[in-house]
Amino acid sequence: MIECPSCGRRQQPRLTCESCGAPLGADLDCFAAFALPRKLTIDSSALERAYHDLSRRIHPDRFAQSSARARDASLRSTALLTRSYRTLRDPVSRGLYWLELHGQKLAENNKAVPPDLATLVFEVQEELEELREARGADVQKLRERTLSRRALLEQKMATLQGDLAANFKRWDDGGEQAALTAELKSVLSRIAYLRTLIRDLDRELENLKAA
Amino acid sequence: MSRILGIDLGTTNSLIAMMDNGVPRVIADPETGEALLESVVAIAPDGAVHVGRAAIELEPHLSREKDGRVSAVGFPGGEYGAVVRSVKRYMGLGGNEVAPEEQSRYTFADLSGPVVRFQIGKRAFTPPQISAEILAALKRRAERALGEPVERVVITVPAYFNDGQRQATKDAGRLAGLEVVRLVNEPTAASLAYGLNKMAEGNVAVYDLGGGTFDISILSIKEGVFEVLATNGDTHLGGDDIDHALVDWMLAELPDQVRSDRHVWNSARLVAEDAKKRLSEAGNVDLVLELPGYTIRKSLTRDQLEKFAQPLIKRSLDRCELALKDAQLRPAEVAAVVLVGGATRMPLVRRRVAELFGREPLCSLNPDEVVALGAAVQAGVLMGTQGDMLLLDVVPLSLGIETMGGVMERLIHRNTTIPTSVTENFTTAVDNQTHVDIHVLQGERELANDCRSLARFKLGPIEAQPAGLPRIAVTFLIDANGILNVSARDERTGREHSIDVKPSYGLTDEEIERMLEEAIDLGEQDLEQRLLIVARNDAEQILGALRKQLGEFADLIEPGECARLQAEAERLDAARKTSDRDLISKLVEELNELSTPFAGRIMDHAIKQALEKKSVEEVS
Repeated sequence: MIECPSCGRRQQPRLTCESCGAPLGADLDCFAAFALPRKLTIDSSALERAYHDLSRRIHPDRFAQSSARARDASLRSTALLTRSYRTLRDPVSRGLYWLELHGQKLAENNKAVPPDLATLVFEVQEELEELREARGADVQKLRERTLSRRALLEQKMATLQGDLAANFKRWDDGGEQAALTAELKSVLSRIAYLRTLIRDLDRELENLKAA
Repeated sequence: MSRILGIDLGTTNSLIAMMDNGVPRVIADPETGEALLESVVAIAPDGAVHVGRAAIELEPHLSREKDGRVSAVGFPGGEYGAVVRSVKRYMGLGGNEVAPEEQSRYTFADLSGPVVRFQIGKRAFTPPQISAEILAALKRRAERALGEPVERVVITVPAYFNDGQRQATKDAGRLAGLEVVRLVNEPTAASLAYGLNKMAEGNVAVYDLGGGTFDISILSIKEGVFEVLATNGDTHLGGDDIDHALVDWMLAELPDQVRSDRHVWNSARLVAEDAKKRLSEAGNVDLVLELPGYTIRKSLTRDQLEKFAQPLIKRSLDRCELALKDAQLRPAEVAAVVLVGGATRMPLVRRRVAELFGREPLCSLNPDEVVALGAAVQAGVLMGTQGDMLLLDVVPLSLGIETMGGVMERLIHRNTTIPTSVTENFTTAVDNQTHVDIHVLQGERELANDCRSLARFKLGPIEAQPAGLPRIAVTFLIDANGILNVSARDERTGREHSIDVKPSYGLTDEEIERMLEEAIDLGEQDLEQRLLIVARNDAEQILGALRKQLGEFADLIEPGECARLQAEAERLDAARKTSDRDLISKLVEELNELSTPFAGRIMDHAIKQALEKKSVEEVS
């Protein structure tokens, strides 16, 4: 039980006071911050609306003239809400957070390359090496190859995002936990790899532009 | 409760504004009718201070006398008194961060310390002290115009200001006898001012090129919520730099010694600034600079000026592209572009910004006033008179800590919405280690050495335990001002840890207190104001300490005592928002007395615990 710093009402920890609506400054998990059920499928525009709506009510701007305790609670609750929004808004960080809630995490540093991506990773690294060393007319040609490679990677990423959404749905439908955890880990680790690859590509393309 | 005003503390000009029946309005000087106050401060050898136009007249420069001779006039600096312009460029800077070409511009007292110090007369002045004079002048102006005391303000800062620069701005407010209720980012403030005019909803880019700083912010505006998506900038890029390039060009043929003379340099700067302004309208202008026995005549076309400005504007546009990338937007997805800052009057700036975003920028509000107007709107939000408007701003630079091997580990990424917090667990590396040193950094580079050192602090004392066993959770919280607050908790005992934070740059609380004391002889009214602030600080301190103790040592409270303490604390909390210093001081004393028995029990408890621990150690 915690006490509302604004009206003194004692209650279970939640974002805002059940009696006066002021922020309580309680420590909550990301779903509880939004008073959402623990479901992985989230409507992003509804989440944004809730974020704006709650921010409007608990933001420190609303408590500039209140007591030090109320201001402090507003600051902590808003920091929590912001963090929760950022975590839940992006499906990948939401998935990672879900693993954390279930006492799991991706393998340390995510070092083992997923087997089906190994060849791809190798090919991309080689292409980038060639791009780095290219001179003269080759540069343009290899740059275009890199651009079309990038488009392919984006496509693959879209597929993986679809896989992620499907996995989320199976969790929400009450699927078998061990299998879903393994699948979630595998999809997230693939996405992490693809993100790194795309970032590497972008970095090379930027360097090319700067040169 | 007193009204909150909005202040734009600019590099070149400063303004103060207020909400007037739901409309923001700049408060002009009641005597002169001027809205802009030049951010120039002159300090005479005897300590007398002039701000604004009066200070500009005292800047070292060359003047033609009646007999036709050209002579050097004004305060040349150092022991003869000095005039400081663009002090904002020095806010939050360590001595070693002053650029070499700027070192000859003023007489610095010491460039090795954590704060820049200008040597003026017999005293050394820090940038917050000089900025405080500008703030105090605005405060006096508003008090004369409104006929009521001005105590609480919102001050704007460049969005790209780091933690130290923000802290320095807050310090300046405190030194001017003002409570800084909130720091607001300048581009965001500008968007609020435009937003009041019912700007189209959607994504908006604010391009803010002032005298000394550049900011770009990309916002999403939806139903009164102004959410900053990304911000970028350069706190040392502005219209000043164009003037300086022109000065170098004008004085190129002169020997070094003449060129670096402050009278010559400043006169040239005035000529350059004037030429730049005239070229916003004209196609070419003549520049005349009279030196003793020598006259420099040059002609400058707009094309030439644009060649000087080109590289600087390119730098700003690169920053815009980075901000767009962070916001994950293409230029075409930006629905409106707003221009802010005097330097955006240059036609070249307008052209290049229009090219980048593919649309004509908006500049219907005066670019010199729009930030102050926005500060007033935010003051209205804080007073609760601005309905449903809400600003969600971001932290401009990543925050992290130094880890093994001098690597920067990011804990809070740039462009994260504030307020935000992150908690990190720390432990010990060797057995019986009593302290953990933490080095907090700000910046985007991989190596700690390449980032800006923000603060160092020591966690502890930690109970003697085997390595890796202690678990100390450190929370890094960035508040709505974009300023870092650190707290630590022992995860085992749940006890709050005291942290001794040593800021790498800037002033310590003790230094500010000392400056306030030093300034006390400045006048009766100032004295009253400053004493009030001291009393309020005392109140805040005792309230904070009591709140912490009530939470931590709830089991040491006697029946009924808690309610009595809380009632008294509430009275003090209410009183400290008034200007009744005697009442605040009286209640601080009463609360102190009332809480003495409780404090005594806490002390006994601590001693008992220490003894118990000792006897256990002796046995084992």
